[in-house]
Amino acid sequence: MTFSTKRVTAIFVKDFKDMSRNMFVSATLVLPLLMAIIYSRTGTLSIDMIYLIINMTFSFVGAFIQSSLIAEEKEKNTLRGLMLSPASTLEIFFGKSLLSLIVTLVLTAGSILLLGYSPANVPVISVALVLSAVFYVGLGTLIGLITKSVMEASVAILPAVGVFTFGSLLTLLFDKYPFLKVAEYLPNLQLIELASAVERGESWGEGWPKLLVIFAWIVAVYLVTTYVYKKRRMDD
Amino acid sequence: MTALSIRGLACHVEHTTLFPAVNIEAAPGEVLAIYSTMNVRHVLMAMLAGSMPIHQGEIRIGEYAPSDSKRDSRLIGFMRLDEGLYERLTVKENFSFYRDIYGSSVALEEVLRMLKLDQKANHKLVKLTSSEKRRVQYGRLLLQNSELLVFEEPDQNVDIETKLVFHGLVRSLSAKDKMVLILTGSMETALSTTSRVCRLDEKGLHVFDIQEKSERDAEPLNGFSAGRTSLELDRERTISDIHNLGISEMEVGLSQQTIAQEIVHAAADEPAASLNVDNASTSAPNRSETEESNIGEESVFGSFRFEKIPTRVNDKIILFNPPEIDYIESSEGQSNLYVNGEMYASTFKINELEVRLQSCGFFRCHRSYLVNLQKVKEVITYTRNSYSLVLDDQSRTHVPLSKTKMAELKEMMGLK
Repeated sequence: MTFSTKRVTAIFVKDFKDMSRNMFVSATLVLPLLMAIIYSRTGTLSIDMIYLIINMTFSFVGAFIQSSLIAEEKEKNTLRGLMLSPASTLEIFFGKSLLSLIVTLVLTAGSILLLGYSPANVPVISVALVLSAVFYVGLGTLIGLITKSVMEASVAILPAVGVFTFGSLLTLLFDKYPFLKVAEYLPNLQLIELASAVERGESWGEGWPKLLVIFAWIVAVYLVTTYVYKKRRMDD
Repeated sequence: MTALSIRGLACHVEHTTLFPAVNIEAAPGEVLAIYSTMNVRHVLMAMLAGSMPIHQGEIRIGEYAPSDSKRDSRLIGFMRLDEGLYERLTVKENFSFYRDIYGSSVALEEVLRMLKLDQKANHKLVKLTSSEKRRVQYGRLLLQNSELLVFEEPDQNVDIETKLVFHGLVRSLSAKDKMVLILTGSMETALSTTSRVCRLDEKGLHVFDIQEKSERDAEPLNGFSAGRTSLELDRERTISDIHNLGISEMEVGLSQQTIAQEIVHAAADEPAASLNVDNASTSAPNRSETEESNIGEESVFGSFRFEKIPTRVNDKIILFNPPEIDYIESSEGQSNLYVNGEMYASTFKINELEVRLQSCGFFRCHRSYLVNLQKVKEVITYTRNSYSLVLDDQSRTHVPLSKTKMAELKEMMGLK
């Protein structure tokens, strides 16, 4: 089977129209922007606060939209028809991921603008943000595959939101419970560390291991997703 | 060239046989309906879709096996009963999505017009009735433009308009040399869409022989009545045997009468006549004798035994499985079937039904009653000469049992 851009576009357009009319999802999209507005009024913000919002955008938009897009297809019995169509699995997931990714990046850019955050090294931060977005979309795909309905997905997403948004608060406990230091390798904490390093004006050499860790997370989440997808298909 | 070929396909699930080895062949442009239970239907669909392994026998769609990865997805299309649609999109958006996905060149306007959805093209699916949604599903299959189209329960719970749309659709698909396979649990659906109907169950595949109006017009009536004439001639020969077998002459006379009736029916071009009334008269006892004369009839009736009992409700014919029937009552020459407390008028005389249903455990308990012995729960004796059978149905119906038949019944049960 050849990879067809036409089919990917068809899926992308269909999901975009579908999502824009879905109140349940579009209401979620407003949430990070609202938070950004509220926080931007409180005065100058620390890097930690800014990234709390950015990570929230990632998990609420990237992961959540992606998971509900997939879970809804399952819930409404449309995924099976799609699977029997000439569109390959890769095309289906690519079309959906593309939509989630674009929406996530647009909203992240939006909240960054609202927060008035201007990183010292834009290219490095952009790369880190795009990589993180890819990771969260993968996470969303995974959750979408595990769950059977949108309702289930929106519950299953909560632990992920907890870990990946508020995980940064764990740093406060590092001194008391040293074993929590493992959490440092979470992609969101890596992102924050990278951002603070950039703000301190550190060189590229300091930044790339963190990008590598994020990249490792991407690889891991997509491997698990592929495994789950294959296993699920056997079960059907 | 066959569109679908099933050879020696069988399915056994745990302790039950869903269906034994069956063969089905269908050419492009053919419309085939398979009447079966839901289990059989689901298994068959999964096998056709290649999502269920085939352990015995084989399926070929065109030249490919269902699970063949080289198989073009444009070869077979499914409309499942629980198939979902994108409800937040409009009809047109749904269609253009499917068109792009299947890369088909079918014009949307044509599909919309054919499905009578042009008025609703810009309505979101949530605002459509369930019948209209079903039409959108037909549309999905039309856009897929596959060579073999599989419809599961295509007209279950839909309005008349949708049924008509569906019938038109099947005709035009058949004209375009597409093969249509209809899987249904409703005989009415099967019969109304095609003349090639078969039943698939644990006993195998039974092909129903149905004569369509147009075909019958073309077919000379001579052949039809020639079969009758030979049967009547045959009667002269067999009549003594019939006496020996203990069938009264009156009964033969009766069947003769129905034959005469049927010829009238045929001449009047009643579709009902195709559900051969004759089966009863040629069944069981004198069967071997009439075998020869039956050859002439073979083309009309086929070699199977039609086990279901047809009844008439208005213009429609409803078929009942003998075990479903509680009892049959004859009043004023008309026999009525009672099924779950509902009455259905049968086209047969009670004597014919008796002969036909004898092998299914039916018992003539009274001059005007034929009862399904499996449903009898109790035998009540009112007085020495008055008996009643109580049935195991909701209203615990009492069916009279005549004195002479009581003795016969006792004998059957092994009581003295």
